[in-house]
Amino acid sequence: MTDQADLLVQFSNALATRAEAAKNAVVAIRLAHGRHITGMAWRSEIVVASEQSLPRKDDFEIVAAGGAVLTAKIAGRDPGTNIAILRLAQSIASPSIAAGEARTGAVALAIGADGTGGASARLGFVNLAGAEWHSSHGGLIDRRIVLDVNLARREEGGPVFDAAGACLGMSTFGPRGQVIAIPTATIERIVPLLLKDGRIARGWLGVALQAVAVPDALRESAEQSSGLMVMSVVEGGPAAQAGILAGDIILSVDGTSTHRLRNIARQFGSDSIGRKADLRLIRSGAVITVQTTIAERHAA
Amino acid sequence: MSDAAGKPAPTGRLRVAVHAADMLRRTVLSRVVAEAGHFVVGAQDAADVVLADGDCPPAEARPVVTLGGADHDLPGVLSRHAGASQIDAAIRAVCAGLIVRSPDTMDAGFGAMRETDGHALLTPRELEVLATLAEGMTNKAIARRLNISLHTVKFHVESLFRKLGARTRTEAVAKASERRRHETITL
Repeated sequence: MTDQADLLVQFSNALATRAEAAKNAVVAIRLAHGRHITGMAWRSEIVVASEQSLPRKDDFEIVAAGGAVLTAKIAGRDPGTNIAILRLAQSIASPSIAAGEARTGAVALAIGADGTGGASARLGFVNLAGAEWHSSHGGLIDRRIVLDVNLARREEGGPVFDAAGACLGMSTFGPRGQVIAIPTATIERIVPLLLKDGRIARGWLGVALQAVAVPDALRESAEQSSGLMVMSVVEGGPAAQAGILAGDIILSVDGTSTHRLRNIARQFGSDSIGRKADLRLIRSGAVITVQTTIAERHAA
Repeated sequence: MSDAAGKPAPTGRLRVAVHAADMLRRTVLSRVVAEAGHFVVGAQDAADVVLADGDCPPAEARPVVTLGGADHDLPGVLSRHAGASQIDAAIRAVCAGLIVRSPDTMDAGFGAMRETDGHALLTPRELEVLATLAEGMTNKAIARRLNISLHTVKFHVESLFRKLGARTRTEAVAKASERRRHETITL
């Protein structure tokens, strides 16, 4: 009996020690109405936050561990991977972050900022650790990490640790309130690019597209059952310059079928800018090929 | 906040401060507010509620209805594309001390690129028929507009109902616009 009780006490004490130590890993990012969200103290002068929940402005107030209030400026944001970085006016203590590997069923400890310089803690499990995925904004996320953890809005953007104290990633909300983590590997990949340019360059054609079924009569010549119909064309954009029209159905980009959206997203990475791309499309019942030059997407 | 909760719910015309960085949006939103029968007041004037296009100023102490703002803890959170009736309903509700959310903002969150189930994809012709349904046209009028037979129109409408899982025309239009919002991609 006493042994079991001791194990539980040990478990509890270990968690409390971790949470206490983790307060250096988070900062509070102040919002309107006395509220805040959490940021990760990534480096002594760099804070990583959840892009989707960070208001679109340049200057923020940060509450660091211990309660010191600092100012910070946006240094870059990438909606594609939901990563934003802030540069602090003064350095703060930041823990060294070791990347951990998420395993389904493993214990996960999510840390948030309490807004006054302390930390809040959430315990749960890695509900699912899966393969890489593409976000609806076109970014590549290295792994799917779904957490079985309750998270308050103010705790979003904090680090998620495994039992060994390694960092699985940054907590954030997926659709329908699902709590997910942006993997540490993704943050490590994106932060240097954001520090350099302030954004992640992506290729752009200047079209809005919707998946449609290829009409039966054209399936044979199209050689596929679905395509992306052009719903609108941005004036002066690359597609407009190439003569792409609303109503065209794009079948492939440089030979990659538009049947799977994620395969197409891959075609528009930062390396695509300036490249000539052949678009095979259906217009007025005929399959034709139009060449465009991929430009750089500017912030929406 | 305590004002809104403590006082009896304001009825009739409300004083609404419209906050929008974009001048055109401010004009459009001000018109929506005025046409709903409310007073549009200056940004700093006494107001019952603030209608913010996107994020509102951080120091804002009055109840806020945001259209597409990042702060989901505000009393009113609507999508950027909210219509006039939603905006009117939201500012009234928030003034009465209620919290307002629309389903599409609840659905917001960092998600994966959606791949539409191939069987449910609409054909270009079906999209055309859908656009005429959205205008409230009858089958006869659709046949005339698209220069197809009444029989063909009925065939397309039935196919639309099946693919969208809708039972009425209104439901078909609503479900299709929902899908379009989720699945339109920009390249």
